[in-house]
Amino acid sequence: MTLNELTQVFDTVNFGLVVLDRDIKIQYWNRWMAMHSGLPSEQIIGEPLFDFFPHLNTPGFNKNCKAVLSFGNFAFFSQKLHRFLFPFKPDSSFGYRFDLMQQSCTMGPLRSDDNSISGLFLIVQDVTELATYEQKLVEMNTKDVLTGIYNRRFLESRLQEEFERHRRHSHPLSLIMIDIDFFKKVNDNYGHQCGDAVLQAVAGKTSSVIRKTDFVARYGGEEFCCLLPETSVTAAEIVAENIRTHIEQIENIFEGNTIKVTISLGISGLMDKDSPETLLKRADDALYQAKHSGRNRFVRF
Amino acid sequence: MDYCLDIISDEEKEILQEIMNIAFGKAAADLAEVINIFVVLSVPNIELLNSQDLPSYLKTQVSEYERVSIVEQNFWGDFKGSAFLVFQASAGRELVALFGDNSDDFGSESIDALEKETLMEVGNILIGACVGKLSELLGDAVTYSPPRVVTENTHNDAIPTNIFESGSSAIVLKTVFCFNERNVNGFLFLVTSNDSILWLKKSLATFMEQYE
Repeated sequence: MTLNELTQVFDTVNFGLVVLDRDIKIQYWNRWMAMHSGLPSEQIIGEPLFDFFPHLNTPGFNKNCKAVLSFGNFAFFSQKLHRFLFPFKPDSSFGYRFDLMQQSCTMGPLRSDDNSISGLFLIVQDVTELATYEQKLVEMNTKDVLTGIYNRRFLESRLQEEFERHRRHSHPLSLIMIDIDFFKKVNDNYGHQCGDAVLQAVAGKTSSVIRKTDFVARYGGEEFCCLLPETSVTAAEIVAENIRTHIEQIENIFEGNTIKVTISLGISGLMDKDSPETLLKRADDALYQAKHSGRNRFVRF
Repeated sequence: MDYCLDIISDEEKEILQEIMNIAFGKAAADLAEVINIFVVLSVPNIELLNSQDLPSYLKTQVSEYERVSIVEQNFWGDFKGSAFLVFQASAGRELVALFGDNSDDFGSESIDALEKETLMEVGNILIGACVGKLSELLGDAVTYSPPRVVTENTHNDAIPTNIFESGSSAIVLKTVFCFNERNVNGFLFLVTSNDSILWLKKSLATFMEQYE
């Protein structure tokens, strides 16, 4: 096969191909790279890569170049960690959730005839579509369909993670269990569609008033659960009271009726010898007490 | 088990051990100079095993760790096989502190994902340096698959049971490594199968010729 033939192949493949010398100057830039960057190969060949892409001049990228040039190993720039190396527009804007093309890149050594490493190659793969699918799948797996907040499965795995992390560093961790008062009456009097609207309103309001580091999930029918990392029970009381007063003020308008609901809340905080289950159990017990002492209030275990 | 022992002679084993010593010494020196990773690699140890015995051998070797994180990477050239880097499960967090350059925005990625990616990057470089130097001394250049990582499993779950077809034999090159600044250590196993043995014997002979 001639070099000309190989070049034809390199210019028609559907991924980026870049060759760099030991000084990180561009030696080859295939048509895919030219097309997506808007930089024709005549303009860029012989030039330092970092002149055109200064954001790549990081300790991490340089470390990988050095490693490949001295060990002849491969370096992998995963989409998960890096999102992309080259800031290109996605191939199509249709149905993608990313402003920039998501890339998975591989770097490897190029050797001369005496087996010494003369430079490196970089392969750039467009994985935007895959990353979009992954994001959708993750969402479907972690979000509650009706309310759009996290589902119970996500809460439980997150609780496990946070539980271990907080116990390791002996940091405070709190949990709030929330239950809508007399929710069955809403369903019975106004129908399930109205009940759904109330659930959405409570979920939406709760997730908008909690702090950025907190999580709220739909735990059961009309039960919600908030996970408060790095938060003492005393601080959790303030969060709980804030949620309670906000929910109390919501006016749900459904088919001409104004429906107001209140919530009861149970709070628990991480203690020695706790497990995720006992932490949940105590919040649930506190919630039960809140219900039995008159509702529309929080009880701290 | 017996036929394994015949695959390479004691003399060849000694040469290989010496070559690994040189290779890993170079790898450690280059890692320090090139990317500021200060790593101490122990004198390597060579075992010849029947491939069925490989999983139980690996498990026994790492049994002092209750939970492990393993980076696995395949390499191929004339020298062909798999590398397993076994860390104690807590190592991920230490490595993030040691190598994370935090220039990237991890957005919603959890700390677990970050640990996993860091393990992969460190593993990729450490395996690449060791395998690269070793294959260079043996006159080969190898290609690598992307690393895969299994985190925080008990070693019983983490070690694959079917690394090679049964009936084949395996050469296991084991070294213990330790990062100077932090209390992070672990094992590196390079496992190569039957397919590479003829080539390996030849390369060892070629290597010795330069001293004869």
